[in-house]
Amino acid sequence: MRLITHNMLKCHVKNCTDPDKQFPLRFKDVQLEQIDAERNNEFLVRMLPRIDWPALSKTTKELDITLPETVPGNPEDDEEFLQALHTAILETHIKQGSMLCDGCGHEYKITNGIPNMLLAEHEI
Amino acid sequence: MPAFILQFAHCHEDFRLAELDALSELEGVAVRYDAAGYSAESPILVVEMDSAASAAKLVRRAILIRSVSEYWGSGATYAELFAEVKRTPGRWNEFMQKSFKFTVEGFGRSLTQKEKVAVIESFSFLGFEGPIRMKDAEAEFLVCEEYGETDLPVPPETPKKLWFGRIVGRGSRHLIDVFDVKKRKYLGNTTMDAELSLVMANQALALPGTLVYDPFMGTGSFLLTCAHFGACSMGSDIDGRQIRGTAGFRRGVNGISANVAQYQVADRVLGSAVFDISRNPWRAGALFDAIVTDPPYGVRAGAKRLGRKNGTVPQKSFTVIDGVENYKRSDYYPPTVAYEMSAVVSDLLAFAAERLVVGGRLVYWLPTVADEYEPEDVPLHPALRLVANSEQPFGSWSRRLITMVKVAASPEGAGPQEAAHDPAHKNFRDKYFNRFEPL
Repeated sequence: MRLITHNMLKCHVKNCTDPDKQFPLRFKDVQLEQIDAERNNEFLVRMLPRIDWPALSKTTKELDITLPETVPGNPEDDEEFLQALHTAILETHIKQGSMLCDGCGHEYKITNGIPNMLLAEHEI
Repeated sequence: MPAFILQFAHCHEDFRLAELDALSELEGVAVRYDAAGYSAESPILVVEMDSAASAAKLVRRAILIRSVSEYWGSGATYAELFAEVKRTPGRWNEFMQKSFKFTVEGFGRSLTQKEKVAVIESFSFLGFEGPIRMKDAEAEFLVCEEYGETDLPVPPETPKKLWFGRIVGRGSRHLIDVFDVKKRKYLGNTTMDAELSLVMANQALALPGTLVYDPFMGTGSFLLTCAHFGACSMGSDIDGRQIRGTAGFRRGVNGISANVAQYQVADRVLGSAVFDISRNPWRAGALFDAIVTDPPYGVRAGAKRLGRKNGTVPQKSFTVIDGVENYKRSDYYPPTVAYEMSAVVSDLLAFAAERLVVGGRLVYWLPTVADEYEPEDVPLHPALRLVANSEQPFGSWSRRLITMVKVAASPEGAGPQEAAHDPAHKNFRDKYFNRFEPL
């Protein structure tokens, strides 16, 4: 699972609705892997407005990944920024571990890079 | 604008104009044609575009278009055709010394080599002096003799129409072989055929820089074809076994990652997750440029969603097994209930209205019963506009590839419009297993 996907997922357990707690999900016991990928600046720039930057910032700090605190004024011209963004959201893979919800405590397991986000019987 | 001849492939007739329109939009090439005047019985459509370069660009990704040619002439007879060609002798000069090739094809009738040679020789009035080259000719010409299709055991004697032009561009039908499911490393029993998976990528306007999502990904066909055209893709499915490869036809290949490697799209197939789209964890906001999917009709893949039968209380979640509550165990699978077809589609539209960016597209298959279908069956939504509806018939039932575009942010509390009557796809599963006889 890449960080770009993680940035778009929240906890959806019934009655877990506190926006500050249900997103972003907190990583636990993760195994990371860096895999090179071809950079596409057009994609990065188009996705920027859809990325929740404070959440990404928080998550990258937890994982010890470098990322600028704020988005520069002209990101499309900032090669260094785009490379850092690319490495963080597209080249960082979470292979194993889980994502924890600070609101309700639900633990979503990640196996071979695929998160299981099925809810239990009592959570829907 | 100058005229061009589009030569369609002989299949999926109902999808041709929809793909043409999608290509026009994604390539940014304006194309003018008479839709009302076009009959799917003909493999030829004459269109207007501003240049040969634009024409080549228009068809370069086409799956249902074989070639595009500069229009040089047409007619009911060769006399008529030659007369028209002879009205623009100025354009022949460019090719006087060039190597050239003539391709002569019959539509609805096979032409013998002798017949083809005779046709080619009848064009000697053009006066080309260059050498004939079967491969890599500098100029290629197409002669199409349109006899039309007939139910009779012998083809028609005389053609309905004759067409002549200079080929300036070709489509991408070779991709059908590249993505052939028989050659695919990993597939399942609901894997969509290559041709239509590729058409869907065009309908979705999959382009570099865009993000495409499939909420019923199965073995990931659309993630692959959209990524092939440069889009990034994500997918999810309630059945993790299809993604991981523990339930597909070819075990031991690690599921969709085998295909991602086979087609070299690892950089753009961004990820997959296991969840029920009707209870999905996506955060609020417009996230996707396109949603491309083949929802389960309940026939081969049981259409299901998380839930328990009405009136029951959660029973198994908290049972403690080996010291761990059941729902926390890795082998726990939550109970599911049937997901009726019209609810699947209605939910899909509501989801698309929220999660697509404005201008983004929803491309999905709607199964329907041939005898009962009415255009009003196609669900509508205030935030989405219907762009295309193409039928793939299977006799007593069909499926329709529906394309919708998000035109506005969803108004508060807006939902899919209720049809006045039950649509033909309601309870599709029951109808299918009842062989579409009246219930």
